[in-house]
Amino acid sequence: MAALKLEDYAKIIRSQNVDEIHLLAERVAGTTLKMVNSTLVGGGVAEIMNRLVPLINEVGVKTKWEVIKGSSDFFNVTKGFHNALHGNRMEVNDKIFEIFNNTNEENRKNMDFSEDVIVIHDPQPAPLIKSKKESHAKWVWRCHIDLSHPQDEVWNFLKQYVSQYDASIFSAPWFSKSLPNPQYFITPSIDPLTEKNRELTKAEIDGVMRKFNIPRDKPIICQISRFDYLKDPIGVIQAYKLVKKHVDCRLILAGGAATDDPEGAKVLDDVRNSADGDPDIIILSLPPFSDFEINALQRASDIVLQKSLREGFGLTVTEAMWKGKPVIASAVGGITLQIIHNFTGILVHSIEGAAYQIRYLLNNPEIAKKLGSYAKDQVREKFLITRSLRNYLLLLIAVHHPGENVVHF
Amino acid sequence: MDRIMESTEQSFKLSPFNKSKRPFCFLTSSVLVILTGKKAHHLKGFVEKLRTMDGNVIFYHIHNSYREYHFAPGKYTNDFAYWIGEALGESTLAEKIANIEIGEFTSLIALRDKIVAVVEQYLESAVEIRRSAPGKEFYFCRNISFVMPTKYEVNSLDEFCEAIKKVGMRSLYYHFFEARLRLGHKSNDFSEWINSDLTGYDDLAEKIERLNPYLYTLDELRDKIIDLIEEKTKLPIVRKMKKWLHLS
Repeated sequence: MAALKLEDYAKIIRSQNVDEIHLLAERVAGTTLKMVNSTLVGGGVAEIMNRLVPLINEVGVKTKWEVIKGSSDFFNVTKGFHNALHGNRMEVNDKIFEIFNNTNEENRKNMDFSEDVIVIHDPQPAPLIKSKKESHAKWVWRCHIDLSHPQDEVWNFLKQYVSQYDASIFSAPWFSKSLPNPQYFITPSIDPLTEKNRELTKAEIDGVMRKFNIPRDKPIICQISRFDYLKDPIGVIQAYKLVKKHVDCRLILAGGAATDDPEGAKVLDDVRNSADGDPDIIILSLPPFSDFEINALQRASDIVLQKSLREGFGLTVTEAMWKGKPVIASAVGGITLQIIHNFTGILVHSIEGAAYQIRYLLNNPEIAKKLGSYAKDQVREKFLITRSLRNYLLLLIAVHHPGENVVHF
Repeated sequence: MDRIMESTEQSFKLSPFNKSKRPFCFLTSSVLVILTGKKAHHLKGFVEKLRTMDGNVIFYHIHNSYREYHFAPGKYTNDFAYWIGEALGESTLAEKIANIEIGEFTSLIALRDKIVAVVEQYLESAVEIRRSAPGKEFYFCRNISFVMPTKYEVNSLDEFCEAIKKVGMRSLYYHFFEARLRLGHKSNDFSEWINSDLTGYDDLAEKIERLNPYLYTLDELRDKIIDLIEEKTKLPIVRKMKKWLHLS
């Protein structure tokens, strides 16, 4: 696929918004930026970076994206941290903190931080802040996860690092914590022109359905998400079974795995056991770079679910909304910023609630269609990659104006 | 015949090609939202914290929903009313807050004090203090605004009308909402310029000033302004002739 240019987005968003991005870019031209996270593929952060970094470079901000390296022990620890920060219990001890610190220290020694602004994504590389005293950069911690109910021992350990940053960014107001630095509220976004989100022809969608041997003889509901207990794939199966008693339908559970998530295989086994051989439950463990297939599966579905127990922002929800699909999702995390209940989708709080709403929409396709239409409008205005680009440009200016309300150019 | 001449003369005097004394430069503003770290679970806590908030916080929560394009009007017109109505279920108070006439205020602190007074009055007769569900607290935010000139600089009403069709919504928002309340201007920037820098359009300036921007989406507001300008500049002869013929 040819490299996408900012001008390509002018066909999708308002052209004035592209003009304004150029105006902002003029103000920060020549600034250098480094982004650091913990995985190149899989997961929402890597996806955003893949598209955002080229766009920021295109408008004149020289941007590097680097990924920290770590052993499976390190990623087991960070996965535990991830779950603990989302409110689950994790047994913590000095050994765990030592693994975390040592891996970061090894990475830090091999990294250069000569850029003007450094953005560190999520907890995994947070200790890289130790290099702040040797750099001239402004350091920003970008948190993509829900910190509203973290396990205290884990959060207090991380806080010693996070507090040292010049600023932090959260995806929802209720994710934020008491910190000494300015906290910005910036939502993540999706790219409407990538393989995962671009318009597909009917033939392309049909081709993918044939490839996976999925018949189109009954309504399809799907959840496309990493195989992760926090996404509650087993709850989805239970909801499907409640629906199936009344309405014949087919369930697709499809997802890939992130390299920083060692728990995926175990979850997948549990999901297969829960499906109990039902031929109408299709479980697809997708390899990396399955964006085209995911796009087709979402577009082939009548209803898209996201029954997460905890959620950062929930970009899979954004993707489905962009495709004009009616989405039924848990009222957790950033999902509530996207779905206005009964308007741009449906929010639920339980397996039973999800089941009821699936039945309702399968029996009321006109309402489902309207929800999908409003959902697409909502994403176009608020959650596309061009919005993230604008926000990063603003961030590059804002870090030099702490405490100010208005900056005039 | 005299009447026709008078009408033609008037339309010439109102010609859109009249140059303005000073150009109007369309500015645009972008904002980053800053989390204050302060939140409220119930009305008592809300009003205690609100009382301490500066104008920036008040401005953000009053205008947050207008700033972004919204494709359908919400049930409540500002964040305060929305939270009180939806998270606390206090619909009566939410409606009172939503219906405070923002246009009557040129000071954000005065607006804040009005909201505080309305909530306090409500609390005096409240039989219970409801708490929001976990995760539904009110989070006080503020924003940092970045103001920049756009490429649109105009020297006549005609050019102004063409430019307003092209500028982004953030520019419209800046000149209509931000300039008036946050920056303390007496009027919106469009009416001010038309009034002071163009000759013969005082009534147009007044009509634009009388638009209640809180009742429209930004797209609708833009259309209303364009309609008013076109009504004034493009059709005066036709309208006056029709009126004259009808009366005759």
